[in-house]
Amino acid sequence: MTAFLALLRRDLLVASRQALFLLVSTLTQPVLVILVFGNILPRLGLVSANFGTVMVPGLMAIAILMAGVQGVLMPLVQDLSGSRELDERLLAPIGVFGVAAGRIVAGAIHAATAGLLAAPAMILLMHGTGLGDVRPTWWLLLPLVVVCGLLSAAFGLTLGTQLQPRFAGLLFAVVLGPMMLFGCAYYPWAKLEAIGAFRYLFLLNPLTFASEAMRLAVTPEAPHMPLVLLVGGLLAWLGLFTFLGARAFEKRAIL
Amino acid sequence: MSALVVENLTKTYPGTRKTPPVEALRGVSFAVEQGEFFGLLGPNGAGKSTTLGCISTLVRPSSGRIVVDGVEVGSEPREVKRRIAVVPQSRNLDRDLTVREVLSYHGRYFGLPASEREARATRLLEELQVADKANAKPLTLSGGQQQRVMIARALMHDPKVVLLDEPTTGLDPQARRLLWETLRGLHERGLTFILTTHYMEEADRLCQRVAIIDHGRILTLDTPAALKKSLPGAQVLDLWLRAPQPIAPRLRALAGVLNIEAVETGEGDGLERLRLFVDPGEGLLDRVLAAVRDGGADLRHVSLAQPSLEDVYVHLTGRGLRE
Repeated sequence: MTAFLALLRRDLLVASRQALFLLVSTLTQPVLVILVFGNILPRLGLVSANFGTVMVPGLMAIAILMAGVQGVLMPLVQDLSGSRELDERLLAPIGVFGVAAGRIVAGAIHAATAGLLAAPAMILLMHGTGLGDVRPTWWLLLPLVVVCGLLSAAFGLTLGTQLQPRFAGLLFAVVLGPMMLFGCAYYPWAKLEAIGAFRYLFLLNPLTFASEAMRLAVTPEAPHMPLVLLVGGLLAWLGLFTFLGARAFEKRAIL
Repeated sequence: MSALVVENLTKTYPGTRKTPPVEALRGVSFAVEQGEFFGLLGPNGAGKSTTLGCISTLVRPSSGRIVVDGVEVGSEPREVKRRIAVVPQSRNLDRDLTVREVLSYHGRYFGLPASEREARATRLLEELQVADKANAKPLTLSGGQQQRVMIARALMHDPKVVLLDEPTTGLDPQARRLLWETLRGLHERGLTFILTTHYMEEADRLCQRVAIIDHGRILTLDTPAALKKSLPGAQVLDLWLRAPQPIAPRLRALAGVLNIEAVETGEGDGLERLRLFVDPGEGLLDRVLAAVRDGGADLRHVSLAQPSLEDVYVHLTGRGLRE
């Protein structure tokens, strides 16, 4: 445990030194999106004033996803590069799964911070009228942000260990981009009843559960996914990615 | 109790669809005593780094047994990691920390209390002559300085056995000599070192015993002096020549020539390199030169020397070390 906490402390120290860079890289997108869809378009009367409220939780989920993936992926690339900085961690008196878990926890802290900072930033930028429904349930918000952060970081570990470097350029276009569009960030899953059974396909996207989790926590009065399905989905995806990521990490780490 | 016991170690790296599996180690056994400076000498790809990897838990052996200071690597890797330190071949200092932080975080990983951590970091930076770089980022240091910081980092948790993987590869001669002195100084204080190298001079100067390793097997293991003594003849005479017909039989017949080996030069210039193990008695050089001339060979270069560990290696494998 000593080694685990020391490794985590090292990661947080390094992240705190790069805080500005990390914030800019994870918050720019959601803030700009909310500026357009939550401020400019409602003023022009092109979308309803409530659209912004729908998007706040969705964009929080996106911020968490991006920060979690990035928070694990970037150090992992460095770790597994030719110089193998990872070996210094693996030589600490800790098991290889402990090292993998450390990566996930550090990524999750990064992701949760990004998610919690995204919310006020977006609310400030929104055109005043649509904020009526944003009433965070704090006791729900914090644990859900943490679980979503862990899920994103575990997903990042899976991507980082499975993805061949030459395909890294496709990551956004093929994986993250479609995930964001079909992850119920811009529309609640409950309303997808309109497209019938197709809505169940959206459950194959882990972001759907993160978006719905934020919706439940931030706009509890708006329609959202049933709680059992929501928690079950979050935990199932978290378990799957932790398993896949840790297993692949071990394969890459110990030759 | 031995500091390290390696028994019948084998390692086969699995192949992929395009590459066949690689048998890196084919039954390596040796033991290193407490306080010994032990060397693994061999060319690139001989299995040196894989052996160190298995000892340090970073490579999973296919079979065999490794015991470090009485602790089995296979069953108690964490306890082994507390007893060993690794100075890897690639410079892998944490580039996001300063040199001092690299040391102090290493101490943290091993649970050293803060006061001890800081005192040790100060002392080691001083000893390894990198104190003036304490607040610099590792990537701004020269190769030799990074190597010293890696050694300082390795010593932070007070290991019993230090594994050095080709520590001087890529260093200039001056930095190499400085590092040798440092290592000798540390060894005198009782640390056990296991060093891999493909520089025979390095093995000769530093190591008390050397194992020569090639193609995943240990070919021989002894003190450098005994290894050199095991060669036939007291001296080595190297001839670089171009001969229209084989000249070795002619040379072998000469008095004072004990053995002849053809060494692959790998230089593609058409020159043949013959290595003669000789007893340099009266008139030997004259006889050799006459035999070469009579054989119609064009002699380009000659060298007469005391045998080195490279000669031992060449004698055992028929190949030069740096091919």
